[in-house]
Amino acid sequence: MRRAYIERQRQAGRRALAVLPVHHPRELLTAHGVLGVELWGPPGPPRGDGAGRLQAYVCAVARNALAFLQAGGARAVDGVLFPHTCDSIQGLAALAADFGGVAGRTLVFQHPRGGARPSARAFALAELRNLSSALAELTGAPLDPARLGWALGLHAEIDACRAALLDGRARLPMDDAALYALLRRGEWLWPEEHLAELGAARALLAPAPVQRGVPVLVTGYVPEPAGLLPALAGAGLYLAADDYAAVGRRVVRAVPAGGEPFLALVERMLAAPPCPTRGTDQGERIRWLVGLAERSGARGVLVHVQKFCEPELFDVPAIKAAFAGRGLPVLVLEGELERELSGQAETRLEAFGEMLRRAA
Amino acid sequence: MILRRTQYELARRVVGPTLLRLEAWQKARARSGRGPRGGPFGPPLESTRKLKELLSLHYLAGRYADGAVPVAWVTSGFPVELLRPLGFHAVYPENHAAMCGVQRIVPELSDAVEQQGYSRDLCSYARTDLGSVVTGKTPAGRLPRPDLLCCCTNICQTVLYWYKALAAHFQVPLVLVDTPYVYGEVRAHDLPYVRAQLEELVAVAERVAGRRVDPEELRAVTVRAREGSRLWGECLATSRARPAPWTGFDGFFHMAPIVALRGGEECNAYYRLLRDELQDRVKRGIGGIREERHRLLWDNLPMWFAVRELSTLLAERGFNFACTSYTNAWAEAGVQVDPADPYGSAARAYTHVILNQDLSNRLGILRRLAREYSCDGAVLHSDRSCKPYSIGQVDLRERLARELSVKVLLLDADHSDPRAWAAEPGENRLTAFMESFG
Repeated sequence: MRRAYIERQRQAGRRALAVLPVHHPRELLTAHGVLGVELWGPPGPPRGDGAGRLQAYVCAVARNALAFLQAGGARAVDGVLFPHTCDSIQGLAALAADFGGVAGRTLVFQHPRGGARPSARAFALAELRNLSSALAELTGAPLDPARLGWALGLHAEIDACRAALLDGRARLPMDDAALYALLRRGEWLWPEEHLAELGAARALLAPAPVQRGVPVLVTGYVPEPAGLLPALAGAGLYLAADDYAAVGRRVVRAVPAGGEPFLALVERMLAAPPCPTRGTDQGERIRWLVGLAERSGARGVLVHVQKFCEPELFDVPAIKAAFAGRGLPVLVLEGELERELSGQAETRLEAFGEMLRRAA
Repeated sequence: MILRRTQYELARRVVGPTLLRLEAWQKARARSGRGPRGGPFGPPLESTRKLKELLSLHYLAGRYADGAVPVAWVTSGFPVELLRPLGFHAVYPENHAAMCGVQRIVPELSDAVEQQGYSRDLCSYARTDLGSVVTGKTPAGRLPRPDLLCCCTNICQTVLYWYKALAAHFQVPLVLVDTPYVYGEVRAHDLPYVRAQLEELVAVAERVAGRRVDPEELRAVTVRAREGSRLWGECLATSRARPAPWTGFDGFFHMAPIVALRGGEECNAYYRLLRDELQDRVKRGIGGIREERHRLLWDNLPMWFAVRELSTLLAERGFNFACTSYTNAWAEAGVQVDPADPYGSAARAYTHVILNQDLSNRLGILRRLAREYSCDGAVLHSDRSCKPYSIGQVDLRERLARELSVKVLLLDADHSDPRAWAAEPGENRLTAFMESFG
């Protein structure tokens, strides 16, 4: 289905890029008429000639992506964009660029780490202009600044809708599986189409809470396997607050200021929620999570991490300690981007749900 | 403050040296009457005694550093030259973790933080260091509490996550030098970004130290740091001779001063001593191992907990690591620092370290080292704890073997945690690898 959609987009005159996680300037791709198709793995065991090129102790997102791209997954697109998210994806970018195996052009985006320092602003601006030049080369057309202004507005609207759905989760008559399927379609749909879907969902928001399960906060990398969400529902829980890198952590709530569009894009990037892959201070991240939990009324915290994912794993003890101090139970669930939720994980979710329901 | 400063200076200048002289005298007495060391190795390096003295003094002084002088905990790839003129006592947690690895206390320290929720899949240096912070256990006696944490991502992103955890624990400022990764050549905006961060960090360091950087002192430190890297390069280059006057594993231990004491005169004095001894051994045909039949290249960090076993296994069959990409890295970056432009040249030098450059560059370095040191084989340590060094090794193995017609082994282990090393199968693989040379 996704391949056919990409093909239709290309036939309509757009270019398409496979995009590795996590943070990249979607606004810039949209402004250049480039469809970004995000590649979070895909889930399941890596297959094909590329499966053994990365050691088994490298995270499954990088290993699976390499195997998928080398097996021809990149043929449907015009190139691959590698944001410098972590050592593994940076290494994957180097491997693809230097030693090949990945069809099409490779582009990189290196976002600054360590907060909004003056040096970081200047670098982000230069990096965005650099990527814009590469995209212009890919499409054969220079960027129209007015298009970037338009794309900034479009993505701000998308984020406003996503924020409304996530922040008003208790009032949304939709189960987690349906909500996350909708939110994650934004990883590959053309943004205007995605906005229309989000708008329709936003119209469903009720004036009062409709969710009957126990609300929990989730923090982690990506909601895979998809079987996790029905399992949560089966355990009597629902995701009332989201800090997934793939979802909530990319929703910018600040409204873009006017003025020069590239400068506005820099400010939007820097205004994104705290994320360890961007080098956010640990205290700032904890304060953000505590705020999410408080606003959503979460009764428990699910830390859903991928094995070998260092940016996430280093913060786990601090998250556990912070919520233990506030009397909120924490369940740490570690996965390897499996296609199916393991029976063990399901049992742990059931037990967690039972504990939270009793406490409620 | 005055009392702490007095203790610190006494430890560095009086008590430490006296104790070390006493220890050396006791050891010499114990050794007298015994014959030369047997086994497959050449005679031990005389400089090793001085190395131990130097490092012992550094760690002894460190015990009294907090409260006496400003203390910075620093990643190995951080431009420490900028801190020295401010009087910082620099502690290298990676160096300390390596020491814990040699002493095989990593599982114990790691267990302590695993109980807090740190995953065993995280870098073993980080787990060791955090474990030492939590338990207070260290072979150094005591590590001084930091006033400033200094992190540079040119070796990995892991150090940033690790130092953020330290910053949260100690509640002290963390300064970050975020180095853009280099594909081929640096881009126009890369070095200005790094340079700007260096200027930002000096402003923070000056605030912590309570004084300003003296440009003359900075120039002098930079001169010494460059000289230190050059001297270290000269030490390594002696292994181009046959037989190599020391082993690659010796090099791992002797690199400690260029990592932890770079920019100080004591570091350079040490490397002059070591260089002279190595050059003398070359002249006299003394090898690091008794019978050098094959020369290998080692890629990645060592397995600190198994250095002795592995070096013996190899030396018994006439194999020596004539060069290692890791020790070589410390000879290449530092010489690019220019006293006339300490900020700009540091930005360039520290952005161009081996792990911050693409795989083509890495392959070029391995190829050059293998040729310059006449290696007929290579061992690529696939290091579970070091992703940036290990990703790409599967491809590197094939390319090295094809382009240089040498035998290459990919060896799975860890730089510090023995629980990730299957000794028997690992040694069997090494043995089979050596047998393939005929």
